[in-house]
Amino acid sequence: MDRGSLAPLFLLQWFNMKNMKNVILVCSLLICSIVAANPVETGHARASLITNIENSTQESFYVGVRLEMQDGWHTYWENPGDSGSPFEANWKVSDGTVVENVQWPTPVTIPYPPLMTFGYEGDVVFPFKVFRSLDSPLEKINLEFNFLICADICIPESASLTLDLSLATPNLLLSEAVTELPTNFLQTNSSKDQENLKVTFQSSEEITSAYLFPKQDNLFIYSPSQKLVKLNDDTYEITVPLLSSDITFFSGILSLNGEGFQVEENLQSVSSMSLWQAILFALIGGLILNLMPCVFPVISLKVLSFVSMGGDDHAKIRTHALSFAGGVMSTFISIATALLIIRSSGSMIGWGYQLQSPIVVGILTLIMLGIGLVLLTNINFAAGLTTLGSSVQSRNDYSGSFFTGVLAVVVASPCTAPFMGAAIGYALLQPSFATLPIFIALGLGFAGPYLILALKPQWISALPKPGAWMETLKQFFAFPMIATALWLMWVFMVQTSGDALILLLILSLILGVAVWMIATFKGRWKWIGMIMTVITAFQIFNNLPASSTEMKADASAEKWSLEIESEMQSQNQAYLINFTAAWCITCQTNEKTALAREKVKEYLAEENITYVKADWTNRNEDIAIGLAKYERTGIPLYIFWKPGMRGSKILPAVLTEDSLIKSMQ
Amino acid sequence: MKLYINLIASFLIASISFAGDIELQNPSTNQKAPDFSGMNTYGEMIRLSNFIGKPVILEWTNHECPYVARHYDENNMQTVQKIAQDQEIIWLSIISSTPGDQGHVGPKKANELTVARGAYPSHVLLDESGEIGMLYGAKTTPHMFMIDANGVLRYKGAIDDIGRGMQFFDASFPKAVNYVSSQFPELLAQETLSTDSTVAYGCSVKYNYD
Repeated sequence: MDRGSLAPLFLLQWFNMKNMKNVILVCSLLICSIVAANPVETGHARASLITNIENSTQESFYVGVRLEMQDGWHTYWENPGDSGSPFEANWKVSDGTVVENVQWPTPVTIPYPPLMTFGYEGDVVFPFKVFRSLDSPLEKINLEFNFLICADICIPESASLTLDLSLATPNLLLSEAVTELPTNFLQTNSSKDQENLKVTFQSSEEITSAYLFPKQDNLFIYSPSQKLVKLNDDTYEITVPLLSSDITFFSGILSLNGEGFQVEENLQSVSSMSLWQAILFALIGGLILNLMPCVFPVISLKVLSFVSMGGDDHAKIRTHALSFAGGVMSTFISIATALLIIRSSGSMIGWGYQLQSPIVVGILTLIMLGIGLVLLTNINFAAGLTTLGSSVQSRNDYSGSFFTGVLAVVVASPCTAPFMGAAIGYALLQPSFATLPIFIALGLGFAGPYLILALKPQWISALPKPGAWMETLKQFFAFPMIATALWLMWVFMVQTSGDALILLLILSLILGVAVWMIATFKGRWKWIGMIMTVITAFQIFNNLPASSTEMKADASAEKWSLEIESEMQSQNQAYLINFTAAWCITCQTNEKTALAREKVKEYLAEENITYVKADWTNRNEDIAIGLAKYERTGIPLYIFWKPGMRGSKILPAVLTEDSLIKSMQ
Repeated sequence: MKLYINLIASFLIASISFAGDIELQNPSTNQKAPDFSGMNTYGEMIRLSNFIGKPVILEWTNHECPYVARHYDENNMQTVQKIAQDQEIIWLSIISSTPGDQGHVGPKKANELTVARGAYPSHVLLDESGEIGMLYGAKTTPHMFMIDANGVLRYKGAIDDIGRGMQFFDASFPKAVNYVSSQFPELLAQETLSTDSTVAYGCSVKYNYD
C-alpha cells in the first residue's frame, strides 16, 4: 500500500482525537455556561454549525449548517418545486470575514401527488464557503437560520447558531458534503416541442435514474419522473414536461443515479434562425464588413486601384473586379474548409481564432507594415508584392487584384460585423452542407460592391478622375496600414512579452530595409531584398516564445467562468458579460466608445450590475464553449441579464454609450 | 420506492373516490374558466357559471398553513376581501384539504373561522375530494384565481410578490404588490391583466394522496 491510500486513515484517527478534545472543551465550557447554542433543537430538526477549518492560517474554508430532520420531515432546495420555500441564512461575522452564499447539495424529489417538491430529507449539510483575511483573528461567527420544514404540514422554524472558529475542529461530515457538491458542469443538448423539453447528455456510466431540477420556477411542470431513454452507448435523453413552450434558457442540477451535475443551456437561437435567414445575415454582414475598422485600410487600396483605372476600358475594370472578388471568395471557401477540417478533429474553434496564435499575428504585422512601406515608396502597388523580382511587370496583372482580395479577407478575419456573428455561429454549429453556403454568402456580401462594379464598369466614372492627388492619397493610406500594424504589435505584446515585441520590431526594421532595397535598386539587389524578406519571415517561426497563458486581469471586471451565469442568476445578481480579445478591434472600439466610458461605469454601479470580462486573446477552450452556448463562434459578444428576465439577452455587436445603457433598461 | 408507493396509492384512491384525473390541470388565462360546482358551508351547491355577470375570485385556503395564517393574522386577506365585496366581486374561499389532513374543516368550523377572523368571503366551498383544486391546478395555499364577469380566467398565481423564500415571514404586506386587489380595475373592465400569471407560493394543497 502506498502512502497516498493510507493518508485518509491517518486523517480519520486525527479527526477522532481532535473531536475527543472538542468534547472535553465543550464540557468545560458548559460549566462556565458561556457556550452559545450549537446545536439547537428547532422543533422538528436539530440544527448545528460545523466547519472544516484545520488551522488558523487558512484563508478559505467551509462552514456548514447541519440539519438533522425528524423522520418524514423535509426542507427545500433553492427552487422548492410546487410549494415550500428555501431557507434563509443571515450571517453575523467580524470584519475581514466573508461568508458566501450556500452551495446547494444535490436535492431529491419529494412527491406529494399531484404536487412535486424538491428538497432534502433526513440528515443534510449545507456548505458555505468562507474567506477571511489572515490579519484578523479567528472569531465567533453567528448565524440566524430560518427554514421551512414540512411533512404533510409546514412549519417555519429557526435557529440562532454560534461557532467559535478559534476553538472549532474540522468535521468530516462537512468535508464529505463539500466533495459531494454538484460542481461539475455537464454539457446538455436540448430540443423542445410543444409539450416537452428533450435533454440529451453523455455519460460513460450506466444511468438508471435521472432527474433535472430546474432553478427557474416558471418553466417546467414538475412531474413525478422524467422519462429516461438510452440513445446509444453513452448518450441518454430525458423528457421534461414544459409549462410553456417559449422557454429560451434553463439551468439547474441534473441528478444522475443520485449524483448531481450543473447544467445550463441557452435554447434561444436553436430554432430562431433558418438556413435562409443565416445566408441573408451572412450577405448583409459581409457587405458591412467592408466598413469595419480592421478592413478599411486594405479596402482603401482597392478603391485606389479602381480610381487609377478610371480612364481604362471597361473590360479591364470588370476583370480586375472579378479577380478581386475571386480572391475574396476563394479565401472564404478555404477558411470554411479549414474550419470544417478542424471541427471534424473535434476541436472547439471560433472566428478570429487564427489571431490567437502570436505567429500569425506577427506575420500579419509584417504584411501590414510591408504594405504601408510599399505605399510610401514608388513600387507599383497594384503589381505589389506578388511580382517582386520579375523583370517584366505586366500591365494586365490580375493576380495583384486577386491577392488584394485574399489579403482583405485575411485582415478582416479578426473582425465581426453586425449580423455576421450570428450567421457564422450558426454555420459552424450546423452540418457541413450548411456551413459552406453561409461562407460563400459571406464572401459574396464582402465582394458585393466589386461584383456590382464588374457588372456596371461605367459606374467607376462616378469616382474622381485620376491625377496627381492619387500619389498623395496613396501615401496617406500608408498610415492606416501602419496604424493597423501598431495595433497588431500591441496584440502581439499582450499575447507574448515585451522581449518578443522587441524581436518583432527588429524584424520590422529588416523588412523596412528589404522594401527600401526592392524599391531603390534593380537586378541583383532586388533579389537580395527579397531573400531578406523571406529570412525575416523565417525568423518569426524560429524565435517566437510560446504564448503566455495568464492574461492580465482587468481590475474593474469580474473574471469570467463557465458557471458564472448560473451562479449570478441564482444570486439574483444582474450582470453584463463582455467576450473580448486584444485582437478583436470591434471589441476594442466598443470598449472605447461605450464600455469604458464613465457614464456606463456609473450606470453599472448604480444599477448594481456586475461587469464580467471573458478575455479570448489567447486560446481558451472554456470561452469557446461559453460562446457556443450562444451559438456564436466569434466575438464581440455581449450578454446581459437582470432579475426578472427569463433568459439572458444578447446585446448588439456595435455599441455606443446610449445604446448600451438603453439596452440594459 | 416511496414515489411508486405514493403513485400507486394515489391512483387507487383516485379511482375509488372520484373518477376524475389525478393530474393537476393547468387552465390558461384569457380563456374560459373551467366551470365547477361545489358545496358551501350552508349545504348549498354553488356553480361558477351562475355568477356570470359578476367577477369571481377563487382563494385556496388552509387556516393551519403558516402562510395563510399570516395573511389572516395581519388582516391582509380580509382587507382584499372587503375591497372585493365593496365592488360586488364574488369571493369564493375553497378548502381542498382531504379529511384528516391539515386545514380540513367541517361546515360549522369553517363558518366559525370566517366569523372569528372577520373575513368577507361570499361563500366558503368544501372541496374534500380535491376535484375543484385539481381542475384549476391549485398548488399552494394561498393560490389565487381571478375570473371576469364573462367567465374568462384573467389571473392565476400568488396573491402578492413577497412569497418565495423565508423573507415572507418578515415582509411587509402594505409594501407588497398585491396582484389581486391592484388588478381589480382591469378585472372589472374585462381587460387582459398586466400580470396574468405568477408562481404561487405557500404550503402545498393537502390533496388526497395517501
